[in-house]
Amino acid sequence: MDSQESSRLTAPLAHRVAEDADSRQIAAAINALWTDIEAALQPIVGRRGVAALFKRTLHVTAVRHPWLATLAPGSDDSVDPAHLAALFAAQAPPQAAEAGSAVFENFRDLLATLIGAPLSERLLQAAWSNSSSAAPAQDPTP
Amino acid sequence: MTSKVTINSLSTGVPGLDDLLGGGLPEFSFNLIAGQPGCGKTTLAHQIMFSLATQARPALYFTVLGEPPLKMLRYQQQFTFFDQDAINRSVRFVNLCDEAMAGDLDGVLARITEEVARHEPALVFVDSFRSVVLATQGDGHAHNHLQRFMQQLGMLMTSWQATTFLIGEYFTDTDANPVFTVADGLIWMRQNVQRNAMVRKMEIMKMRGQPSLPGLHAFRITGDGLQIFVPPPGQADASSPHDVQERATMGVHGLDEMMGGGLPRGYSLLLAGPSGSGKSILAAAFLNAGVRNGETGVIAAFERRPNRAHNQELARNIEQGRIGLVESHAADISIEEVVHLLAKEIHRLKASRVVIDSLSGFELALGPSFKEDFRESLLRLVASLTALGVTVLMTSELEDRYTDLRFSPYGTAFMTDAIIVQRYIEVESRLRRVMAVVKVRDSAHSDELREYSIDDGGIRLGTMLAGQEGLLGGHPATRRRTLTADEA
Repeated sequence: MDSQESSRLTAPLAHRVAEDADSRQIAAAINALWTDIEAALQPIVGRRGVAALFKRTLHVTAVRHPWLATLAPGSDDSVDPAHLAALFAAQAPPQAAEAGSAVFENFRDLLATLIGAPLSERLLQAAWSNSSSAAPAQDPTP
Repeated sequence: MTSKVTINSLSTGVPGLDDLLGGGLPEFSFNLIAGQPGCGKTTLAHQIMFSLATQARPALYFTVLGEPPLKMLRYQQQFTFFDQDAINRSVRFVNLCDEAMAGDLDGVLARITEEVARHEPALVFVDSFRSVVLATQGDGHAHNHLQRFMQQLGMLMTSWQATTFLIGEYFTDTDANPVFTVADGLIWMRQNVQRNAMVRKMEIMKMRGQPSLPGLHAFRITGDGLQIFVPPPGQADASSPHDVQERATMGVHGLDEMMGGGLPRGYSLLLAGPSGSGKSILAAAFLNAGVRNGETGVIAAFERRPNRAHNQELARNIEQGRIGLVESHAADISIEEVVHLLAKEIHRLKASRVVIDSLSGFELALGPSFKEDFRESLLRLVASLTALGVTVLMTSELEDRYTDLRFSPYGTAFMTDAIIVQRYIEVESRLRRVMAVVKVRDSAHSDELREYSIDDGGIRLGTMLAGQEGLLGGHPATRRRTLTADEA
């Protein structure tokens, strides 16, 4: 996958977070995006299927962001949204944003290795395009 | 206006399946695709779904416990029929894993009802249905529950005007399974491993209101999905008498005269002879003669590649597309597949001449399970080819025996319209070749046993070995002449 496509796919988080957002806002955006991904994928691959993918994503991302390792899915394999938000909110904004982007990038890569990039993009389309919780688009700084 | 309801037929898009079903799939039918794991049920379901689903006629694919959906998507997208753009538009996947894991058939039914009401699909697939059954067997009333569930599901789907497919692993077809009773259509898929070849076969065990083709039919799974090899449609013009006046030239000088003017069009000819007697050369001459006459031909080569080095004219004709080449090196080919390949090539080239070289190689090329009824299959092959209106030449390896006069190792002689036999004989310590026209149905032909030679120009027909007798017995003798009065 080229970098252009990669940036297009990771953009949803950037779109949802204003540049000067604090950790709590970043955590809320991550939580909202994750909820949208779950809504898009759960009907197709099932609740456990999505949870298994997320578990793997966290495991891979925790190599560079070890604090993510504590965010293991609960006994019923689902991720507790409150726990997710609290963990990101506790980080400094740049770390929270970077780790958040890494999570979604790894998640997308994982899905793409399983079912291919085009189909992944199609399945996640609803989540990526859901801008109801997004921050208003900013004009590029000159 | 007719008082009967019109049942629309859906074209499944799976090559051969519509014919097998007896004219497509009845709309709103409730069907079961059954078979052992790995025999192609999910692939068949996907192929039908992607072919039929449109935005006006959307499909819902329920995955239950069998194959994890991610894996299914991973592997199914390898097929050319898998259309990614259709997903979440005309094709929707719905996972019922949680409901099935809970072992609650009512929950499964409620969820199916909910999704069907939401998306109003015209096509519904439940894969795999067997896992619904297994997940609910724990409570002891599985049979009753299942029957009720089936009844309700069948009723629901028909009321919602959905054509439905249940996909399931079943190992025996004798189970008194309520699913089989409720289903309108029952597509059974089997795979049979014999030696190192696997043959896949499909059987329509039930199709309400339609004359489906009985019996097992071979199918193959390629990158394009399933292809089912159904017998070609009946011999429409087989009953019409051949016009024996119209003849095809054999391409060997003198042979046409021996056959009473050439091989009558639409006839099948068996050319039998021992190894090295020049059968392939004569077969090539037959095809090349057609090309010189402005005709096209098809050769099915099962032994080796057509003798390119030795027959440049044939090689050139193949290269220039005047003669189609049908080759198969699959270990599990069926007669139907060969007929299919030949028919496709015949239609493509509008061919009038067909050569099968040789039947012995053909038999070796067949899957082991198809060899058992080789003679019957061969009869079907000859019938379907001549029904296409082509003139057929088949070569057959013939073990040289000098104790009896044989034309074919399969007893195939009766099924062809004409026979030419080639033999080796020993005369004056030399191996010489002779050929004779044994039979040309409804036509006068020569009874001569003619010597022939093979050189760079092909087969050259010589004269009768007038001074010899007992040639076919392998002990030729020079006939004693009665001395005339002058010689005396």
